[in-house]
Amino acid sequence: MSGEGAVRRLPILAVLAVAAVAAGAALILVLAAGSVRAAREHSSGAEARMAASLYEAPGVTEADVAEFLAGRGRILPATAGGPGPGAFGYRSGALEPAAWIAVQPAGGGSGWPWAASALGLFAAFAMSAWAAARRRSPPPARFPVAAALLSATLLALVAVAAGRWEQDELEAISRAHLDQGLSAAGMAHAAGAGPEEAARVAGLPWADDAALDEPDRLWTMPREVGAAIAAARPLPSAGRHRVAAGGAVYHGGSLQLRDRPASLHLVLLGYEETASAAVVLTAAAAGSALVVSLVLLLLPLASRPRALSRTLAAWGFLAPAGALLLLFTFGPLLYSLWISLHDWHLLDPAHPFTGLENYRSVLGDGAWWAAIRNTAVFTLHVPFAMAVALSLALLTRQSRRAIRWARLALFLPSITSVVAIAVVWKWLLNDGYGLANRALAAVGIAPVAWLSSPDTALVSLMVISVWMVVGYQMVVFQAGLAAIPRDWYDAARVDGASRWQRFRHITLPGLRHTLFFVLVTSVIGSFQVFGLVYVMTEGGPLGATDVAVYHIYREAWEFLRFGDAAAMSWVLFGVVFAATWLHFRLLERRGSHA
Amino acid sequence: MTREPRAVTLRAVRKCFGDVTAVADVTLEIHAGELMVLVGPSGCGKSTLLRLIAGLEEPDGGEVWIGDHPVADVEPRDRDVAMVFQSYALYPHMTVARNLGFGLSVRGAGRTEIEARVGEVAASLRLGELLGRRPGQLSGGQQQRVALGRAMVRDPGVFLFDEPLSNLDAALRLQTRDEIAALHRRLGTTMIFVTHDQVEALSLGQRVAVMDRGRVQQVGTPHEVYRRPANLFVAGFVGSPPINRLALTRDRRGRLAGGPFTFPGPSTHREATLGVRPEDLTAAPGSSAAPPGPVGAPPEFTAAVLRVESLGSEQRVHLDGPGEAGWVARAGPTLRVAAGMKVSVRVAWERTHLFAPDGRRLGRAPRPGGAPPS
Repeated sequence: MSGEGAVRRLPILAVLAVAAVAAGAALILVLAAGSVRAAREHSSGAEARMAASLYEAPGVTEADVAEFLAGRGRILPATAGGPGPGAFGYRSGALEPAAWIAVQPAGGGSGWPWAASALGLFAAFAMSAWAAARRRSPPPARFPVAAALLSATLLALVAVAAGRWEQDELEAISRAHLDQGLSAAGMAHAAGAGPEEAARVAGLPWADDAALDEPDRLWTMPREVGAAIAAARPLPSAGRHRVAAGGAVYHGGSLQLRDRPASLHLVLLGYEETASAAVVLTAAAAGSALVVSLVLLLLPLASRPRALSRTLAAWGFLAPAGALLLLFTFGPLLYSLWISLHDWHLLDPAHPFTGLENYRSVLGDGAWWAAIRNTAVFTLHVPFAMAVALSLALLTRQSRRAIRWARLALFLPSITSVVAIAVVWKWLLNDGYGLANRALAAVGIAPVAWLSSPDTALVSLMVISVWMVVGYQMVVFQAGLAAIPRDWYDAARVDGASRWQRFRHITLPGLRHTLFFVLVTSVIGSFQVFGLVYVMTEGGPLGATDVAVYHIYREAWEFLRFGDAAAMSWVLFGVVFAATWLHFRLLERRGSHA
Repeated sequence: MTREPRAVTLRAVRKCFGDVTAVADVTLEIHAGELMVLVGPSGCGKSTLLRLIAGLEEPDGGEVWIGDHPVADVEPRDRDVAMVFQSYALYPHMTVARNLGFGLSVRGAGRTEIEARVGEVAASLRLGELLGRRPGQLSGGQQQRVALGRAMVRDPGVFLFDEPLSNLDAALRLQTRDEIAALHRRLGTTMIFVTHDQVEALSLGQRVAVMDRGRVQQVGTPHEVYRRPANLFVAGFVGSPPINRLALTRDRRGRLAGGPFTFPGPSTHREATLGVRPEDLTAAPGSSAAPPGPVGAPPEFTAAVLRVESLGSEQRVHLDGPGEAGWVARAGPTLRVAAGMKVSVRVAWERTHLFAPDGRRLGRAPRPGGAPPS
């Protein structure tokens, strides 16, 4: 009977497995197609910008620009309002008449044969799965393993194929982009622009022969790329060339300059030919294979329909939260780990893989360690805050009206925006007109440079932070206090314990888990402090309040060094993890009874 | 080492929580060395009274004396009392040894003294094996003994027990009850024991104070409380199954009457309640057969059997009469009755009670006159 049921349910599982493989393959193809499309759009946007720069260059006519665009794009009057859907526009406003340049992205390449072959393989897999399911007997024990292997292989094949296709497409797009750059620069040069100006029209990194000879003048392109070009000379005078430097491929081209022996070298800071794309796709394949395997693991349950449906239901309930977690927590986490292994500059499309180099440089970076030290000092406010919060919790145990109001007032900072708090405190602590210094002046004390002296700024932030977190901690402590049975206090009173002894022997042990929870969460929160610093001191003065997260923020968004910033984030994670682990080791273990 | 037991005296003690009067003008004297049980339904104020003695609550009026001193301004720690809580209130993060020694250590006793005293008490309560454990690792009975030991360690003048047995299973409760009684014989200390279980109260107490709605309804030996209840509440609360009642009203000739009974003599009360304990009824099968009793005396009434509870050593026969609310008769194990049968019942009038409308006991009911039902 159960065998019959198992056979009847097998198709469901087969369909699930096939669907998972299909989803995996689709994910891989979408990822590949997405990055190709992004490259195309980027290239189209760049072309629009080139055309606009060309349009603005002296001596260039509208006809030249039209020739440059060569039917790929159009010049629209400024009144047109925009480039229209799907096109990339660049508004040229500096010259009369103002105009829009609209460039439509190039159409899809010949990638779909790969997709078609992947689909064919997939169909074959589906057929075999279906055939296996149709056999009127329970599947052999090896079947899930075989099916998992088969689907993993299939997905790997799809990943490799999609990777190759993506690589080819990106290279073609890059070549076309460089050609357009060369053409734009050539036109500008022909119309009388100097080398520098011509290069700027193309919007590409450039160097002339003189710069290549003297590495110190190589400020217009990454030094290692320049060195690679210099090493590759003599270059084909009119043609294009590929330069590999730092794990990435660059498309270079030279432009012969008028009445000068020197050439102007333009390069397109290329795409990574190395690991990146392949790894992303392989990861997608592996993830999909994992899902397939999970589905196939359900096969043994086919003979137990209730267990099967319960398991499916459980996974179904887990799926939404799990998907969100994967997408918005683990996804970004792993992505930042990925970034941290690359020389990832925001303005440089090439992200050469550098392994642990970022970590090496971060660990040797004095400024970073200064930021960690500042963070550690800042974290010292936690025990103060906890002491204050515990005292307040003990003082506000009763539920009288005034006390309820006091509790509310103390809790308010916890539900107020950090930025609002920071702005108000910044006013209060202003050197000149701040209320704090005014109050001091009223009693005849010299003003204190609360936030503008390296000696006091961090301490000021710590005090504000205590004020901010005390309300929340107090509420947690109150909950912990309420959970301590009154009988313990009564017993201790009869036993003869004084007020302090009751606190020492009943309250503190009773609050042990609460204290631990507050300590760990507060220390973690303190390591993540950002808002206060960002609004009030911007890490200053003299880096005195440059805490870790703010340092990372500056590394990423001011210096645009994402690779370093990601590495710092992971170092910070390691520090916080180590601190928390220590807490668990030292406090929680000792307290638990054997 | 053993100190003098202390007397505890309450004089018009009153305690309110908001609008609720928990203890209303209780005056009670507990002799030195006595085992006094405070018993009553939940919410009667017995636990509050105990906490007032311990000093965990401040009275709103009246005086508490322990020994020869009023203790109004004396902290619990200085009242020479020890308390055992219903929840045991053992400190969960301390070992049994530290739990036992806590009271001594917070009073600044030396380590050797604490160890000696804890060892002594632990030995007397068979806790020696458990000294290194924590309360969470002990059974309910073991926790109870630790709580007892914690009270004993300081050798107080007064022991206070707040329903210490109610968290134990039935067999353990009986055993622990005996142990507490034995402990009292051995130590000779004043003990005040709060319980809601009247069986526990009667079996344990030298004297019993029955409380209801914040007042002491009766104080007396268990025998007095059971045999001569001061009022209807005490009569109803003490005894299981509860006392049988019958509402009586004065008839036109001034006699109290109710059900099949008409009592001789004019009564000054318009209404009254007859109370008869189940064991003071004697049932015999058949409406005509006379149950054993004075030779020739006819049965007082007949009734149908609704249900028979057989408890092994006795049977409880639920009857549909004599009044609206049926009575329960206690019978020996040999009586052969079953539901639906008619039985004739004789009442031991010399052990009955008559209660005034306000609940006060008037005395025993006279043997009713009038014609018995034939």
